[in-house]
Amino acid sequence: MRLSGVGKHFGETRALAGATLTAVGGEIHAVVGENGSGKSTLAKVISGVVLPDEGGVDVCGVHPANPRAARDAGIVTIYQEILLADDLTVLDNLFAGIDGLLRHREGRAVRHERASVLLERLVGEPVDPDRLVSTLPLSVRQWIVIARALLLEPRVLVFDESSAALDLEATERLHAEMLALRDRGACVLLVTHRIAELVKIADRATVLRDGATVGSLGRDEISEARLLELMSATARSRCRVVRAKSTDPVRRAVLVTEALQLSCAAVPIDFRLDAGEIAGIAGLDGAGQAGFVRALAGIDIPFSGQVTSIGTTGDARPIRTVDEAEQGGVTYVSGDRRREGLFPDLSIQENFGLAMMDRRVTRLGILDREGIRQDFEQEARTLKLRYGHADDRITTLSGGNQQKVLIARALARRARVIVLNDPTRGVDIGTKQDLYEQLRLFADGGGAVVFLSSELEEFFGLADRVDVFRADSVFATCRGADQIAEAPLLAALFGQADSAARPLRSGSPPDSGPRSIAPGTCP
Amino acid sequence: MSSSRVAVDAAPARRDGSGAVAKLRRLRTEYARLGVPLALVVALLAIAAWRVPQLFTVVGLAGAILVAAPLMLATMAITPIAMAGRGGVDLSIGPAVGFINVTIVTWLVSAGIEHPGLVFVYAMLAGVLWQLMVGAAIVFVRVSPIIVTLAGFMILQGLNLVILPRPGGLAPDWLSDWGYGTTLFGPVLAVLVGAFLFWYAFTRTALFTHLKLMGSDERTAFACGVDVTRVRLLAHLIGGVFIGLAAICQTALIGSGDPTQGNQLTLQAITALVLGGTALSGGRGGALGSVLGATAMYLIFVVLSSFNFGAISGFMTQMSYGLILVAALLLSLLGTRPGRDARVAA
Repeated sequence: MRLSGVGKHFGETRALAGATLTAVGGEIHAVVGENGSGKSTLAKVISGVVLPDEGGVDVCGVHPANPRAARDAGIVTIYQEILLADDLTVLDNLFAGIDGLLRHREGRAVRHERASVLLERLVGEPVDPDRLVSTLPLSVRQWIVIARALLLEPRVLVFDESSAALDLEATERLHAEMLALRDRGACVLLVTHRIAELVKIADRATVLRDGATVGSLGRDEISEARLLELMSATARSRCRVVRAKSTDPVRRAVLVTEALQLSCAAVPIDFRLDAGEIAGIAGLDGAGQAGFVRALAGIDIPFSGQVTSIGTTGDARPIRTVDEAEQGGVTYVSGDRRREGLFPDLSIQENFGLAMMDRRVTRLGILDREGIRQDFEQEARTLKLRYGHADDRITTLSGGNQQKVLIARALARRARVIVLNDPTRGVDIGTKQDLYEQLRLFADGGGAVVFLSSELEEFFGLADRVDVFRADSVFATCRGADQIAEAPLLAALFGQADSAARPLRSGSPPDSGPRSIAPGTCP
Repeated sequence: MSSSRVAVDAAPARRDGSGAVAKLRRLRTEYARLGVPLALVVALLAIAAWRVPQLFTVVGLAGAILVAAPLMLATMAITPIAMAGRGGVDLSIGPAVGFINVTIVTWLVSAGIEHPGLVFVYAMLAGVLWQLMVGAAIVFVRVSPIIVTLAGFMILQGLNLVILPRPGGLAPDWLSDWGYGTTLFGPVLAVLVGAFLFWYAFTRTALFTHLKLMGSDERTAFACGVDVTRVRLLAHLIGGVFIGLAAICQTALIGSGDPTQGNQLTLQAITALVLGGTALSGGRGGALGSVLGATAMYLIFVVLSSFNFGAISGFMTQMSYGLILVAALLLSLLGTRPGRDARVAA
């Protein structure tokens, strides 16, 4: 299998930029990289779900153009999401897509037997193939997806982060399956950010960064340190640094959490955000950081625990709903603009003015359009918004300027805390700088910012501290310029075992120290 | 010591038992959706036995089969289309049946084509061709099914009136004879049985599994390598075969052509479909449920006509259809509440 110089754009985002990968049969080949480094897209290119814009894909002499062609060539992919039809039985799901148009390849009894045997081996306990998938727990569903792939006896098996729902013992069984496949001469492609996993099992590793291949390691060269080094090599173009001003000596908390748990077994989080502070939130996909910021803004209800906003006069209000967050001065800005931010059919000003609907109304309940326009123009000036006319549709703006409108909306609400969930997704570098400056100004004016980003370099020079999430809890907190840097952050993200990279300074509050990620007890 | 012997003894017994239990459970999961329509039909039969005893004579039953057959077949026609998902309910079914009906009594009869075999072939071919157009518009032009079939409804409604401005014409003699309905095991029942056998054969194919898979989760089906385009198109074509059969039975029933009667069939067929437990969201359903739903519709009509509502009896029937539909949906919601089984599994 050979991929050379593969490139793929999604709108403004460049997911792959000349990725190269060569894998042969009889090996377990890991593909590693940070969030957004393009590893999932690479897996989708191999399995024919996504067609590359440039570059060549050659898998066993075929160029897969759709999932079926890929499967016919012996390439089977287990996707990140658990793709199962809930209304059908386990058996129907297991053999989905195997048959021809009309004929079943083999009898029902044969299938029943094969499915029972395979599932018992994988799951570790018998599973009735006639059950409806919707009645099964998540871990069994995960196994069904894996079993479906194994039944096809693939020549190339692509695992795209597909062990997330499995516990430790189950992962061992999965590894045994992978090794068995390898020994049968198949190529197992393991797309993962679990470094510990791949160090144990991979024969070769290809490291991706920003959509390009930065290195390929053989069996003997694979080590955590080596992989981290490749992933974080400093050749990136750094953005201009926004200097943090000296913060207020009197620290006043504006948003705190008490014993906040994101899931049953997660370590509780005691989070404190002070006025004038910009707190970065980092974590790998699914480490709980997104759920945390959503809980802060009252959008998602946490598993347990309490979020409290503290007003200027010291009055504490609990935040359980978006309304309460709003009243506590906490505003949420989503990076998923299409789904959670914009009304694409409305104008720029209307999108902005949603925040003013309660304030800018006359006594008769009629909107004060003129007042909204003035507010809008003022905010647009401070944010350096580039737009044609305020009545143009919001979709005429670039992604970055759309995001600015959303931030303007948050500022216009006179929020004291802005919670940003990956706001710079698909935003160009110049606009990012404008955004950083505005956030800094906002914080210096007494506001506070929670800034979740999937790109680590966004924190450099901007964040006062970065909380790194793992296993639905804060794993480590980095402070200061030497800690908020690529190497210590990456080490915290991937949870390297040796303590050298543990990003704690003596001055840090004890409650944010590194925690064991052993499961706690459920209340 | 003794406990180990018990375990040894129990093991084979459990295996035997689990096989039967598994089979039973499979049947239960597959046919759970039939519970509500079946109960409805039984209840209505009981009321009919009390109010309309003449229904249970040979002539009564033969007449019932004759009257209910077009609706049964029309409901079977839209079943695979609904199961394909994307909210694909075919609104054009009624006028499509009407189109075949009016063309049989005009074009075919005037051309002298009255041979039963030719008429059957024509009816089914016309149904399939119509569904080919509808399906192609949905699959290739990617227009939402409801818009395509609504447009089809209006086009055919107009076209039928152009072909035959007012009810009239004569069906081929052999087909009119079917409409006397004097014997229980008449030709219309044979058509119904044939349609059912065709459906049964269809459910044994991989295509049927793919259809359920696609209707339940199209993304999963695509990622598993199911050819979703072809499966959706074939679902329409199979529906087309049943449209042809429905038109034959409709023509036998009225013995002539009627350009407008088919129009009511659309709403009745969709009601029967939902009563029969087929999910409009796709994935779940079957011909057995559709036939039960259509039977329930017919029985409601029969029972209500036994009461003397005078001029408003038609409105009462309509209203009852609606009320029973709502009640049936609420009942089946209670029956299939998710989580109960899941909790047991966890």
